[in-house]
Amino acid sequence: MPALPRSEWYDLTRDMNWDLTYVTEDQAFPPALSNSFGVPAEDWWTWDEPYKIAYTEYVHNQAGKDQGLFSVNNVVSRSSIFENLDPGWKAAILAHYGAIAVAEYQASIGEARMARFGRAAAWRNMATYGTLDEMRHGQLQTYFPYQALNKEPRLDWAHKAYHTNEWGIIAARHVFDDMFTANDAVSTAIQLTFTFETGFTNLQFLGMAADAMKVGDLDFGALISSIQTDEARHAQQGEPTLKVLVKAGKTDTAQNLLDKMFWRAWKLFSLLTGLSMDYYTPIEHRTHSFKEFMEEFINKQFIDQFRDFGLEKPWYWDQLLNEMNWVHHAYHLGVYFWRPTVWWNPVAGTGPEERAWLEEKYPGWNDSFGKYWDVMGDNVRAGRPELTLPETFPIVCNSCQIPVCTPAGYAAGYLDSPLPYQLVRDGRKYTFCSEPCQWVFEQTPEQFAGHLSIIDRLLGGIIQPPTIEGALAYMGLSPEECGVDGNDYAWATATASKTA
Amino acid sequence: MAVTTRKPPKTWSLLGEVRRRPSVYEATAAKFNYHFRREPAPFEMDPTAAINQWYLEHREGSPFNVEDWEGFRDPAKLTYSDYVSTQHDRETYLDLLIDHHEAAGSIAKLDKAWVDTLTALLVPLRFPLHVLQMTGLYVAQMAPSAFIINCSNFQAADEMRRIQRLAYLTRLLANEHGDTIAATDTAREPWQSGEAWQPLREVSERMLGVYDWGEAFVLLDLLLKPALDSVVNDSLASLAVANGDEFLALMLSEFQRDTARHQAWATALVQYAVEQDPALVDVIRGWMASWEPLVDAAVAGLADLFEAAAVPLSAADVREAAAQARERVLSAAIQ
Ligand SMILES: [Fe+2]
Ligand SMILES: [Fe+2]
Ligand SMILES: [Zn+2]
Repeated sequence: MPALPRSEWYDLTRDMNWDLTYVTEDQAFPPALSNSFGVPAEDWWTWDEPYKIAYTEYVHNQAGKDQGLFSVNNVVSRSSIFENLDPGWKAAILAHYGAIAVAEYQASIGEARMARFGRAAAWRNMATYGTLDEMRHGQLQTYFPYQALNKEPRLDWAHKAYHTNEWGIIAARHVFDDMFTANDAVSTAIQLTFTFETGFTNLQFLGMAADAMKVGDLDFGALISSIQTDEARHAQQGEPTLKVLVKAGKTDTAQNLLDKMFWRAWKLFSLLTGLSMDYYTPIEHRTHSFKEFMEEFINKQFIDQFRDFGLEKPWYWDQLLNEMNWVHHAYHLGVYFWRPTVWWNPVAGTGPEERAWLEEKYPGWNDSFGKYWDVMGDNVRAGRPELTLPETFPIVCNSCQIPVCTPAGYAAGYLDSPLPYQLVRDGRKYTFCSEPCQWVFEQTPEQFAGHLSIIDRLLGGIIQPPTIEGALAYMGLSPEECGVDGNDYAWATATASKTA
Repeated sequence: MAVTTRKPPKTWSLLGEVRRRPSVYEATAAKFNYHFRREPAPFEMDPTAAINQWYLEHREGSPFNVEDWEGFRDPAKLTYSDYVSTQHDRETYLDLLIDHHEAAGSIAKLDKAWVDTLTALLVPLRFPLHVLQMTGLYVAQMAPSAFIINCSNFQAADEMRRIQRLAYLTRLLANEHGDTIAATDTAREPWQSGEAWQPLREVSERMLGVYDWGEAFVLLDLLLKPALDSVVNDSLASLAVANGDEFLALMLSEFQRDTARHQAWATALVQYAVEQDPALVDVIRGWMASWEPLVDAAVAGLADLFEAAAVPLSAADVREAAAQARERVLSAAIQ
C-alpha cells in the first residue's frame, strides 16, 4: 500500500476553487441549477465534508460490496425463496421496486448536479461518488427484479413505472423531481441529502431490511442494506452545506428548505413505508409499527441532528404527530379500495390477529378504521366483493398528489373538519390534503401552479374516456396488471386461531 | 393468492418483442431517462418552471439531436459493477507502482531542475482537470439517454482518479523537496494569473458557461479533453522519460487507458448520431470551428512550459502532438 495516509494528501484534491474572471459567477453557476442564496463564493470554499474517502478506497470497497451482493443474488435466484414469499411481502417489494428503482437512478442526476454546480471542489468530489452510488442503486434495483421477471411479471414495473402516469408514480415523480432531478445544487444538498437521506431513507432501507431478513427475503435484505451503506456516506453532503448556510446567516433559508421537503417526504413515506410496515409485512415478522419507526428514527435521531445546527422542528410538528396516528391507515384503505389502480396486489392485512395488533399499536383503530373493514368484510362474505371496488374517483391533493383523506381523519377523531384546504390563485382552484401541503405549494407557486393533478387531467378532458377504465388505461395499467386482493379475500373469512 | 397467468416475459415490456434477452448492461440502462421528450414537460412540475425550461432549451432543444438516442451503446458496455471492478484492478496496479517507487526512493532522487518543472507544469494541473470532471458531469446530467449518461459519469470519475493520484505525487514531491510544492497557492497562483495558464483557464471557464448539452459534449470530448489529455498523458510522459522520471511516465500512461475508453465512447456517440442524421456533421464542425482557436491557445500556453525543462521538449512538438490527438479523435468520429 502506498505509504502516505489519505489525510496527508487528500486536501490537495479538494482545493480547486478560484476566482472566475472570463465568465461571471452566474454564468458558471446559474441560479436555476445552483442557488447560492446570496452566500459569497469564498464562503462556500470552506465546505468541509465530515467523512472523506479516496477514489482508490471507493472502487476497492464498492467492488467488494457488489461481489458479495451478486453472489447472494446468484444463489437466491436459483432457489425458490421468491416463489415462497408471503403475498403481503411481495406487495411491499413490488411497491418498493416500482417507486424506488428508477427514481434512484434519477438521484444520480441530482448528485451530478451537485458534482457540477456544487460551490466547492470538495463538495463536487463527494457528489461525484454520490453520482456513481445512485447509478449503482438504480442498476441494482432493476437488475434484481430483472432476474426474477420470469417468476413475477409485475416486476416489470421496476422498469416501467416512471414512464407511466399511474397516480402513485405521479406523486413520486412530483416529490422526487422537486427534491433532486429538477432541483438546484444547494437545495438538493439540504433536501435530498440532509432531509431525505439522513432522515427518511433510514426508515425505508434499514426498517425494510430488518423486516426482509425476518421474512426470509435474503435477496432484498442484502440489497437494500448494501445500498444503505452508500446512502449513509453520501448523505453527509447535507451537513457541511447546512453549516455554510447557517454561518452566512441563512438559517431561515435552510429551515425553509428543510421544512418543505420534510413534509413532502413524510407524505410519500406514509404511503409507501406506512403500508408496507403496518399491513403488508406478515405480522409475525414485524419489528416495529410504522409509528414506532417514525418516532425512533425521525422524531428522536433526526431532530437531534438538525438541532445541532441551530435548526428547529418544522412549524407543523403537531400536525405531523397527528397524522402519524391515522394518515397511513387512511391511505391503506384507499389503496386497497382502489387496488386496480396500483401495480401490486395489496393485501388487506386485517385478519383477526392483525386487527388486534393494530389496536394495540394504534389504540382506537377498531372503532375508527376497523369499521370500514367490517363493511368490506361483510360484502366479501355476502359474496359481493365487487362492492369493495371503486366506481368513482377521489379528490387528489395539488401538492402531494395523493388522494385527500380528510374525511377519514375527521371520522377517526383526528381532524376538526372533513373538508380539504382550498386556494384560489389566478382563477384556478387548488385543493390540498393538509395545511402543510398548501404551505409547501405557496412557498414556490411558480414551480407548481401550472401542474395538473391526475384529477385535474380527468376533469380537464385529458384522460379519455373519463371513466375508471379510461383512467386505468391512462395510468398504464393493462387489465391483467391491475391490482387484485393479494390473498384472495382470505382476511375476510379468517378466524382468530393463533392468538384466540 | 391471485396467480398471474401470463407467459413469463423475456425482458422489460418497454423494450418490446425481442428475440434475444437483452444483456444486464442493456436491461439496467435502456429507457431509464424517462423524462427526455416527456410531455408536457420533462419534470412533474409546472411546465414553465425554470428547470423544465432549462432542459427543454438545452437538451430537447439542442441542435445535436436525433430521433432516437436509445440505440447508442458504450463500446465498453460498462455497468456500474463492471466499472468499479475494472478500476479496482487498475488502482491495484497503481498502488503497486507507487509501492515500487516509494521503496526505490525515486522521488528523492529527482533533481532540482526537474522538480521545478513539475512544480510549474504538473502541480497546477488539478485545476483544469477538475473542470474536465465538472463538465463531464454536466454532459451526463443533460444527456438524453442513460447509455450516454453512464459513459460521461464514469469519465468524470476517472478525471477525479487522475487528480487524486497527481495530488498524491504532489505531496510526495513536497515531502522530499519542499513543503510549498503542496501549498494551494503553488497550484492556484499560476492557474489564476500565470501567463502560460491563462488561455487554458479562459477556455475552461468559458466551457463552464456552455449549456447546450451537445455543444458541451463537443467542446469537452472532441476538443479540449483530447488536447489536454495529449499534453498531460502523452507529452508530459515523454518529458518525464527524457528527464529520467520513469515513475511519472508510467503513472501517466495508466491514465491514457482511461482516456482511450473515453475517446471510444465519444467517437461512438458521434458515429451513432451522424448515422442517424448526416447533417449533424455540420453542427459539430460549426462548434469545433468556433472553439478551436481557444483550445489551440490553451495548448500553446502549456507547450511553452515544456521548453523550460532541463531536457526540453519543443513547444511545437507538444502543440503538434495535441493537434494530432484531436485529429485522431475527430477522424475516428467522422469518417
Ligand atoms: Fe440511493
Ligand atoms: Fe442517495
Ligand atoms: Zn397533500
